[in-house]
Amino acid sequence: MSTTLVFDHLTKRFGETTAVEDLSATVRPGRVTGFLGPNGAGKTTSLRMLLGLVRPTSGTASFDGRPYAELTDPVRQVGTLLEATGFHPGRRARDHLAVLAVAARLPRRRPEEVLELVGLTDAARRKVGDFSLGMRQRLGLAAALLGDPPVLVLDEPANGLDPQGIRWLRTFLRGLAAEGRTVLVSSHVLPEVEQTADDVLVLARGRLVRTGTLAELGAGAATGTTVRSPDAARLVELLTRAGLPGSWTSADEVRVDAPPERVGELAAQHGVVLHRLTPTAGGLEDVFFQLTGEART
Amino acid sequence: MSALVRAELLKMRTVALPGWLLLTTLAFVLLSVLLTILTAGMPNAPLQRDDPQMLARAVASASAGNTLVLVLGILTLTQEFRFGTATPSFLVSPRRSHVLSAKLVAVSLAGLVFALLSVVFALAVSAVTIAARGDTLTFDRTVVEVLLGVGLCLLLYGPIGVGVGALIRNQIAAVVAALVWTFVVEQLLVGLLPEVGRWTPGGAASAVLQLGDLATTRGTLLPVWAGALLLVAYALVLSGVGARLTLQRDLT
Ligand SMILES: Nc1ncnc2c1ncn2[C@@H]1O[C@H](COP(=O)(O)OP(=O)(O)O)[C@@H](O)[C@H]1O
Ligand SMILES: [Mg+2]
Repeated sequence: MSTTLVFDHLTKRFGETTAVEDLSATVRPGRVTGFLGPNGAGKTTSLRMLLGLVRPTSGTASFDGRPYAELTDPVRQVGTLLEATGFHPGRRARDHLAVLAVAARLPRRRPEEVLELVGLTDAARRKVGDFSLGMRQRLGLAAALLGDPPVLVLDEPANGLDPQGIRWLRTFLRGLAAEGRTVLVSSHVLPEVEQTADDVLVLARGRLVRTGTLAELGAGAATGTTVRSPDAARLVELLTRAGLPGSWTSADEVRVDAPPERVGELAAQHGVVLHRLTPTAGGLEDVFFQLTGEART
Repeated sequence: MSALVRAELLKMRTVALPGWLLLTTLAFVLLSVLLTILTAGMPNAPLQRDDPQMLARAVASASAGNTLVLVLGILTLTQEFRFGTATPSFLVSPRRSHVLSAKLVAVSLAGLVFALLSVVFALAVSAVTIAARGDTLTFDRTVVEVLLGVGLCLLLYGPIGVGVGALIRNQIAAVVAALVWTFVVEQLLVGLLPEVGRWTPGGAASAVLQLGDLATTRGTLLPVWAGALLLVAYALVLSGVGARLTLQRDLT
């Protein structure tokens, strides 16, 4: 029941805006793949192209070689959650799922089952218009699970969830991947997927800037150094000459994208006094910000 | 395919709006039946109290739901875009034209339900009111023909709405356009340019309703069968154009 997703040179332009440019990537079964990037990076557009809702300007996307539109029974093959807006506010939660279950010829008891899976049994008869954002996300997830599909495509599923909800989602997604399913989860907040994802695709301004395992992404993180020196200006000059531009974090402190060993050796060669030399911690997020070109906060 | 039709019917049954449209329809029927019967015999009224066609004329009011069924048809489509349920709908059935076809069938069935309830209600109210006033109550072939016309009309009007909704995805724009067309443009055309007016959906509906040999405008209207075919053609052409132009657009 394992399915591989392939994005193949996908490009989408909306008039002048290029939302996604030449995206090629493979998403494997049995793993959680984080689809990361800041707001506006093109995540939603990519996923909507994958699901046949947006027509690519060029390129294709497929599930085991077949585009979504050609799947014989899409609901049983791919579960989807796209934004928390696809509900009629006046319809009861259970009816929303019942409509989908009838259309997809699923057993009548499926809506109740998936509501239980996401912990919404008590709200089954309530109108979706009265739901909190977190409840809508759970209902969306319930809809994605209706067909018990081998593939899950989830667009920002953690949006609106409280910390317990996010933890619950993490366990839930890990469980789905452990069953051999293909799980693709987008997020603009790295920590949300940091403990969930095995693989990552990092998108920035429509372009794929990094693919690999989360561990590989983290490996690139240990390279940062914060250095304090009474002669920091001279140190920056030396670093720049060595091709390692630093950025000031305070009057006598500089942050450099290089390992501490390298900075220390350079300082010793030129007799620059150092008061402090620290590898930068919390690296993953920094790598993410560097890759996506966002300012550090 | 039948699964999609059942899903569309369930969509209608699980929100409040179609129920309100049905209630409004019945209210219109009631008003219009009472107006026809209670004004009979007054100066300038088209109907005399001893007119043998009294019942037929009164139950013809059951077609009052035309416009509401049209609105129902429009809403089944525009609501999907307004609330974003188009996304799950098209994920279940990536062939969007299949969803559209299912809506055409489902709305026709809903129109039949509207027609059935309108007819029963109109018959009951008419019979009771006419009897209470001691007027002439004749149940003949004319009445049956009128009622068939009403059923046909409501059956065929919903799909036209679906076509309008497919073409104009914005809910307010679509409903306003349909109402202005029905109550202003068509009325003017039928009145001022009957040669053109009889080809409009409203003209075609009148043609279908003249089944009972009641239409005073007979002669300017199309034959019954042509009116019915014209209504079907409107629904198919509008939905076909909508399916090609609007429905295939990116859903972002
Ligand atoms: N329908 C649309 N028309 C024009 N531009 C759009 C449309 N949808 C998305 N975009 C643009 O495409 C870019 C990517 O958006 P999106 O895929 O929603 O990013 P993300 O989901 O990563 O936040 C943004 O610049 C956005 O403004
Ligand atoms: Mg998005």
